[in-house]
Amino acid sequence: MDGLIDNLAHGFSIAVSLNNLGLCFIGVVVGTLVGILPGVGPIATIAMLLPLTFNFDPTGALIMLAGIYYGAQYGGSTTAILINIPGEATSVVTVLDGHQMARQGRAGVALGTAALVSFFAGTVSTIVVAALGVPLTKLALLFGPAEYFALMVLGLSFAVVLAQGSLLKAAAMIFLGILLASIGTDLETGEERLTFGFSELADGIDFVVLAMGMFGFAEILRNLENPESRDLVSAKIGRLLPNREDVKASIMPMIRGTGLGAILGILPGNGAVLGPFASYATEKKLAKDPSRFGKGAIEGVAGPEAANNAGAQTAFIPLLTLGIPPNAVMALMVGAMTIHGIIPGPQVMTKSPDLFWGMVASMWIGNAFLLIINLPLIGIWVKLLNVPYRLMFSAILLFCSIGIYSINNDASDVLLTALFGLAGYVFIKFGFEPAPLLLGFVLGRLMEEKLRQALIISRGDFMTFVNNPVSAVLLVISVGIIILAVLPSIRAKKAIALAGTDP
Amino acid sequence: MQNLMAGLLLIAIAAVAGAQGSSLSVGTLRHIGPGMIPLTLAAILGFIGVLLMLMWWRGDRGDSGRWPLRGPIFILGAAVVFGLTVRPLGLTVAGPLLVVVAAFASHETRWKEIIIFATGMTIFCVALFRYALTLPIPVAPWLIGY
Amino acid sequence: MFAKFLKTFALMGAAVALTSGLAQAQNYPARPITVIVPFAAGGPTDVIARIVSEHMGKVLGQQLIVENVVGAGGTTGITKAFQASPDGYTIMMGHMGTHGAAPALYANLKYKPASDFEPIGMAAGTPILVVARKDYPAKDLKEFVAKLKADGDKLNEGQAGVGSVSFTTCVMFNVLAGAKPTRVPYSGTGPVINDMLAGKIDYACDQIVSVASQIQGGAIKAYAIATDKRSPALPDVPTSAEAGLPEFKVSAWNAMFAPKGTPKDVVAKLNDALNKALSDAATRKRLEDLGGVIPPEGAERTGAWLGDFVTAEVKKWGEIIKAGGVVPQQ
Repeated sequence: MDGLIDNLAHGFSIAVSLNNLGLCFIGVVVGTLVGILPGVGPIATIAMLLPLTFNFDPTGALIMLAGIYYGAQYGGSTTAILINIPGEATSVVTVLDGHQMARQGRAGVALGTAALVSFFAGTVSTIVVAALGVPLTKLALLFGPAEYFALMVLGLSFAVVLAQGSLLKAAAMIFLGILLASIGTDLETGEERLTFGFSELADGIDFVVLAMGMFGFAEILRNLENPESRDLVSAKIGRLLPNREDVKASIMPMIRGTGLGAILGILPGNGAVLGPFASYATEKKLAKDPSRFGKGAIEGVAGPEAANNAGAQTAFIPLLTLGIPPNAVMALMVGAMTIHGIIPGPQVMTKSPDLFWGMVASMWIGNAFLLIINLPLIGIWVKLLNVPYRLMFSAILLFCSIGIYSINNDASDVLLTALFGLAGYVFIKFGFEPAPLLLGFVLGRLMEEKLRQALIISRGDFMTFVNNPVSAVLLVISVGIIILAVLPSIRAKKAIALAGTDP
Repeated sequence: MQNLMAGLLLIAIAAVAGAQGSSLSVGTLRHIGPGMIPLTLAAILGFIGVLLMLMWWRGDRGDSGRWPLRGPIFILGAAVVFGLTVRPLGLTVAGPLLVVVAAFASHETRWKEIIIFATGMTIFCVALFRYALTLPIPVAPWLIGY
Repeated sequence: MFAKFLKTFALMGAAVALTSGLAQAQNYPARPITVIVPFAAGGPTDVIARIVSEHMGKVLGQQLIVENVVGAGGTTGITKAFQASPDGYTIMMGHMGTHGAAPALYANLKYKPASDFEPIGMAAGTPILVVARKDYPAKDLKEFVAKLKADGDKLNEGQAGVGSVSFTTCVMFNVLAGAKPTRVPYSGTGPVINDMLAGKIDYACDQIVSVASQIQGGAIKAYAIATDKRSPALPDVPTSAEAGLPEFKVSAWNAMFAPKGTPKDVVAKLNDALNKALSDAATRKRLEDLGGVIPPEGAERTGAWLGDFVTAEVKKWGEIIKAGGVVPQQ
């Protein structure tokens, strides 16, 4: 324990140098900005800023780039709440209740809650990274292909809980999501799958393209159709900060969300995306009245936001201790480290303690900055909702289009997004919800990959999924969740059927 | 109508995916081929589609509401126009075009306001994306070469 | 009124296009240059491109902007760059995969690596290592090759998909070692190393950047490095020649190309800027920290040498990939 305090003290002594404080501040400000802009993610920004950091020392450079990353996570939630556009997989869940809160005039409360729980989650997970980073990497090594496959199945079972309408339609959306994820070049043979001969699809569909289309564009279409409902957003502004009741309702979800997010974030296969979904499913299951979810329940913002931020921080553990980047942003951080002559891996902590502990300490400082910057900004964001919608929608559309273009510098992505916008619009009309589709899409690719790897390694033996305890337990939990979710609706159907035969 | 159309939509998606994936090898369980997952999913989607149609037939109709066309045509059209013009003509042309085309989608549009707004937004976006964030997005290739 | 406006507009455009064409040779570069990198930001090729671009920008007096266009083992980005106008304002970072192995892997490749480009010059290569899980019961490369031959497909080799460096270089290693392992596909070498640490994957071929820290920390072991000389970062790892497989010599090289038809003097300016970057002490240090091998001053820094080298690479990989039994994709 002494070692931990010494190390953290050392880290803070490095992170609070004027230079590093400044870089951390710039990082989180830039991050918040690009996170708020729909489409422009941290990947494009960090890539562009990499050369600028050439002249910094490595610690300062990485502190700034890490700040961009978690700043962007944070800014993404603001966009999700205000205009119903999830910039990343992790904010899909925030959209569900956060945007509903905004529609009820509680945008300020939703944003304030997001800011406060994120700070809490950031603080806790900084300590987790510092204290348990090394032992926890062992957890990552427990997860081979079979265990990941089981984890993905568990993730998909959350979607059943996520569903607000028909379970059958939610299931259809999950499977469609996995199907969309399978578009592109086959991992093993290199064949093009379901690409309709378009080379633009050879690398698969980008998450942002799908999410912008299904949520962003489709939302604009719906709002233009029902001027009454969206005018509500701007008509009522309400309180800017959560009151005592809101805080009370948020505390337990926040703690549970932080725990779930922190654990899932450690897994090197981008387990962090599961955090918010797991947290949302948990809160909905634990709630006295689950029907409030999807209609502006504050627990549906507090839990997932905490999980999101906790996962964003603990995702640094596999990077810093194993040298294995769990997602595309972390892969870019590997690039940033190598540009500065630091090869990420188990050696970083011993060879460059300044960098390691400085970065860990800067995470907490960055979170504090985010809170300080964003609490006063909430008032401004909420006022932005007063911009007449006749102007607002074209601004959103323009920002989205530029953002989508800049993902791959590819104009065909904008066309594809328009197509998904149309699909999203039609789906909603037919009673299909987009959230389960996105969850299926996010997990689908990894799920297929892990299924195939597990079966190749086990030489075709399906017992590989039940023989080892981790995957067996995960699969049992998933089956349990699905049964619990499906049972009530089957019982209800039976009751209706019985009532029908007995007039 | 909702469930009938929803069912037909899923069956159509399943059919398209099935046709596209028909040339892929399914492989064996020991060694799954590229076609196994897509074709299985297409079959499941088709099955759910049939279930939805059965639900419709048994009286669970659902309601899909109104279908105005103006919004989808101009909003998605605006994005398409942007996608087609941004690379050859740059943000200075694609930006205002998008705003103007999208403006047709709303019946509240005031044209004078839109022209000023389109100009302002374009200048703002060029400054923000190209110069502040240094993203390699074309600005005006016909005028300044990038 | 509107028609007149359009006409003026069109005339202006034409005038600009004309003057920019004429002014090109003398004033080059008059505006920022786009460097297309056909791999994701943060990977070894991207990092090398960004390091040399930064200094080249200083030499040329114009910024070099890296644009990542990913897909199909890098061929998507190179196809895009190949179709760009040959004015020197779009160049690319080609690679062992895109300009060596690609013709043998993709039947419908739109470009010919050896004849459709103006070679600018070699930037840097990163050495390839054969690595294995730390408890694999073979103490050196000779024992390992013997095991591979005896156990056949009982061994699991992890690779990052068709067209990736780990895929092609391990095809070469397997052909030379006479091995037919079970090849397990992953979506990147990160997860391969993860499963190797967990003991599920027996061996892999990978670039030094991705594995150096694990090897130094003893988390995995390296049987050989496929270069002439040992790497200063890993002085204990024998070269493939020392370990008994001298034919296994391969590097994931990265070199700059311009689209065919780019004016000769423009290519010469770019070559000069690249070589100044490679001779710059700070740039060199950054590249060497990555384990990068920089071509020595002289013949190997010229475009002509690179052109011949590409021709040889295409031939070499064509033979290896055929021998490895890999079927090219449509």
